[in-house]
Amino acid sequence: MEPKSVTRLQPDIQEQKPRRRYVFLMSTPALLGLFMFLVIPFFMAVGMSFTDQRLLSPNETSWVGLRNYDRLLNVSGMVQEPVRDEAGQLVLDGDGQVEYPRLRTLLRSDPAMADYKLFSSWDLGEKRYIVLAKDPHFIQSFINTLLFVLLVVPLQCGLALALALLINRQLRGIFLYRTVFFSPVVTSIVVVSIVWSFLYHKDLGLFNHYLQAMSFGLIGPIDWLGDPAWSMPSIVIMSAWQAAGVQMLIFLAGLQGISPDLYEAADLDGAGPWSKFWHITLPGLRNTVVFVVISTTIQAFGLFTQVDVMTQGGPQGSTSTVMYHAVTKGFREQDIAYGSAISVIFFLVILGIALFQKRLFDSKGDK
Amino acid sequence: MSVKHLKTLGWYLFLTGIGYVFLFPLLFMLVSSLKPEQAIFADLYSIRAILPVGELSLDNYRQVFEKSNVSLYFWNSLFITVGTVIMGLFVNSLLAFTLSRMSWRGQKLVLAVVIALMIIPLEAIVVPLLLLASKLPSIGWEGGMLVLKSSWLNTLHVQMLPFVANSFFIFLFYQFFRDIPKDFDEAAELDGATPFQIYRHIIVPMSGPVFATVAILHFLLMWNQYIWPIMAVQGEDARPLMPGIQIFFGRQSSWGEIMAYASLVTLPVLAVFLMFQKKFVTSLAGAGIKG
Amino acid sequence: MADLKLTQVIKRFGDLETIHGIDLDIKDGEFVVFVGPSGCGKSTLLRMIAGLEEITDGDIHIDNECVTRVPASKRGVAMVFQSYALYPHMTVRENMGFGLKMAKVSKHEITRRVDEAAQILQLGPLLDRKPKALSGGQRQRVAIGRTIVRNPKVFLFDEPLSNLDAELRVKMRVEIAKLHGELRNTMIYVTHDQTEAMTLADKIVVLRSGNVEQVGSPLELYLNPANDFVAGFIGSPQMNFINCEVLAVTADMLRLRFPCGLETDMPAMTANVKAGDNLKLGIRPEHVLEDASGELVICVDVDVVEHLGGSTFVYADYAGDISMTLQVGGLSDINGKDKREISFNRHYCHLFNEAGKSIGLRKDALELKAAEKMLPMAG
Repeated sequence: MEPKSVTRLQPDIQEQKPRRRYVFLMSTPALLGLFMFLVIPFFMAVGMSFTDQRLLSPNETSWVGLRNYDRLLNVSGMVQEPVRDEAGQLVLDGDGQVEYPRLRTLLRSDPAMADYKLFSSWDLGEKRYIVLAKDPHFIQSFINTLLFVLLVVPLQCGLALALALLINRQLRGIFLYRTVFFSPVVTSIVVVSIVWSFLYHKDLGLFNHYLQAMSFGLIGPIDWLGDPAWSMPSIVIMSAWQAAGVQMLIFLAGLQGISPDLYEAADLDGAGPWSKFWHITLPGLRNTVVFVVISTTIQAFGLFTQVDVMTQGGPQGSTSTVMYHAVTKGFREQDIAYGSAISVIFFLVILGIALFQKRLFDSKGDK
Repeated sequence: MSVKHLKTLGWYLFLTGIGYVFLFPLLFMLVSSLKPEQAIFADLYSIRAILPVGELSLDNYRQVFEKSNVSLYFWNSLFITVGTVIMGLFVNSLLAFTLSRMSWRGQKLVLAVVIALMIIPLEAIVVPLLLLASKLPSIGWEGGMLVLKSSWLNTLHVQMLPFVANSFFIFLFYQFFRDIPKDFDEAAELDGATPFQIYRHIIVPMSGPVFATVAILHFLLMWNQYIWPIMAVQGEDARPLMPGIQIFFGRQSSWGEIMAYASLVTLPVLAVFLMFQKKFVTSLAGAGIKG
Repeated sequence: MADLKLTQVIKRFGDLETIHGIDLDIKDGEFVVFVGPSGCGKSTLLRMIAGLEEITDGDIHIDNECVTRVPASKRGVAMVFQSYALYPHMTVRENMGFGLKMAKVSKHEITRRVDEAAQILQLGPLLDRKPKALSGGQRQRVAIGRTIVRNPKVFLFDEPLSNLDAELRVKMRVEIAKLHGELRNTMIYVTHDQTEAMTLADKIVVLRSGNVEQVGSPLELYLNPANDFVAGFIGSPQMNFINCEVLAVTADMLRLRFPCGLETDMPAMTANVKAGDNLKLGIRPEHVLEDASGELVICVDVDVVEHLGGSTFVYADYAGDISMTLQVGGLSDINGKDKREISFNRHYCHLFNEAGKSIGLRKDALELKAAEKMLPMAG
């Protein structure tokens, strides 16, 4: 603004006063809500993650620096030599296995290692490789969550795209199918989890029944939710089934946004269905795909309800997730500070992944 | 029959097969809720599993009402959901109105902040929100007397107020409002309407679709709330349906009763969905595309 | 009933000045048209008068009352928008009565005034319809009706006919002219279409890049454009321009050389002209003769001929790269790809100096008529 106009601005501001009052009155309620219940808790999470805040505690809260983060993220490793007798011979245990020194004793004896717990170990050659973590549950939960995301995002988005392509055609009553495919979305995930718990049941469940029938009894009953190897994939399948309807609709809208002229032109050029899909449909859906993948990823990271209803994190921690761990620590064990630290890491991870995906898609678009 | 007809028939069969997969659990739940325990298992491996055949009764429902405080939970859920949605429609659209149709200092910054806030998921803030809610004082009824409570926990409003303002819904409103030609506001301004009158008489009546979209999305979000009520509501009085059914499920109740409970929880949403299914589906798709 | 006065009105968007100090006097009851190419600031100026656009500097008076800082709704103006801005969720009656409702006028009074306006515009049978159920012309009438109901001092029209097809546009133009005849209110009308400007206006204001180029009656602008921009903008088809070199200057005469070598004397205001200057000679297509019967004869290559029946447009190239348009009689025998002589008379010529300012002698409608009779005409 040039200086000479500044003096002229004065009366305008006077005149704008009633308008400003309207802006203030109309925008304040929502802004206040966002500030109170989103911005403040967000910064509280950051702040409290450096303290030892508890939900209800007689003790004063104090700063603990990075202790919570250290507990969460600290991972260490060690290599153990087998136990040998005086002659240097390997000591074998009752099963004829090589014996190693007891880990707990070892960790207790070293004050620097006292906080570590066993996360995982492998025997390789005549050595035992050990991964230690201060909170092995969190590390496991984190890996579980990543696994869930890696499985559910392609499955759910692929399913959604397939469904969208299926119903994107001129057939009478096609909207009926659209409604059907969408119906799990309006069903609460709590309800879905409960009903599927029944279907997944090892002895009575429908899945095992069909599986055995179709494989003539070769594939035995799988303990879907009770077997650590199957529990997470079970939740993945159910989650993709439940939520794919939303992405289906988004893809459908994207598909209908592609000009039919392009397909007609491709017909004239003699393109087959596959090359039309590859050269017209997919490029036309680019932005939709970006949106769907990013939003599904963010949603998937928040996995909690299915776990809480179906497995409570088990068996053997195989379905515990970051959010499940955060709620367990922050709420059930009332360690708000620790739960906050998990929340902060959770947020940073989804922020990082969203930005990474965005960049990935953007750079692909430049080519 | 021509090849074309066969092909069409093939599509229908294929679609119906997939539809079966999507509908089965829902139908199974509704049908089983009417059957005695033995019939559920007996019918399980045949098509009867999703057909209302055999000995049907409302016994399971009766049991649910007896064993669980389900009607209280239901009214809690309804109150929380409807109350929050109504407040949300008003509050979020008002902010979107000032962001899209008025000009003021700091507007761009506020818009950028609202958009940035969309990336913070509820999950990332529930833990500190719990602490915040535990420290906020509130007024409540206790034994017919108005008393000052020292925390928001175990109340209905702790399940409502934090979820009234929602940056995603603000953004949806903003986008819709932004595309309405400015001429309408100016014509109304010349007609002597105040900004609030422009909102009330011009913009709101013209924005039916976006209000429907947000109402539907917000309804689903609130009705299906789970993580927050299990944390913030321990007591019976303010408990909504979702934690209610989870507790019932955890008690190892009979499957027939569980299915009856699940049906009770699902039916209101299903009814609303079927009534407005077209609006529902188009609005959700629109929301996604724009978001 | 109201006069309107603009004093040094300036509009700035940040550092960008789009209206550069406009002065304008509009008398009570006048029909004034702002015309100019898109981006000339005509709509901004209208919106500043309406109060929809803030006035950066200068003042606007309506009825001798300064309204520069008065909000739009209190200025006593009403506006017809280009898009009509009819509220889609209200019936025609509600649309027309909305302003009165906001002003808390009684229901009875609103009904009375809406009915009255509907009568003027023959909207009676449409009053209970929604805008969606109306044709383009009907919507236009409702938009006008809405302004009449408010009984404003000044009517503002922002390109109101640009969304109509050609036929309706002519019809509505006549209706607006009739309405002005009936109401006799001050009206300001913005358009980029010079035909609308010529047919409707008592007074035309030609704008270019935020400046007023000329103000005057339609005929005045046609006969005596102040500069080459106005000359080119007013009149259709556009005026032909030929670059000429000044060979000699006398008190009231210039000796000019045409690009093809033709040399001739031309009466002009010669005060600031010197030999060697380049001038623009303007001649309107309707004043070019299709044969050599005029005073100045030049040779052109005919490019395209359009027979419209009543008249014929001839597009030709002169001296290689100067496009010339001729509007001649409907029975013209000119064919495409012809090399032929055309001509024109001195008293129809306009002269513009290097800065584009007119240096031709003032033309008078009566004198031109008299001159026409004395000189040979084609056809």
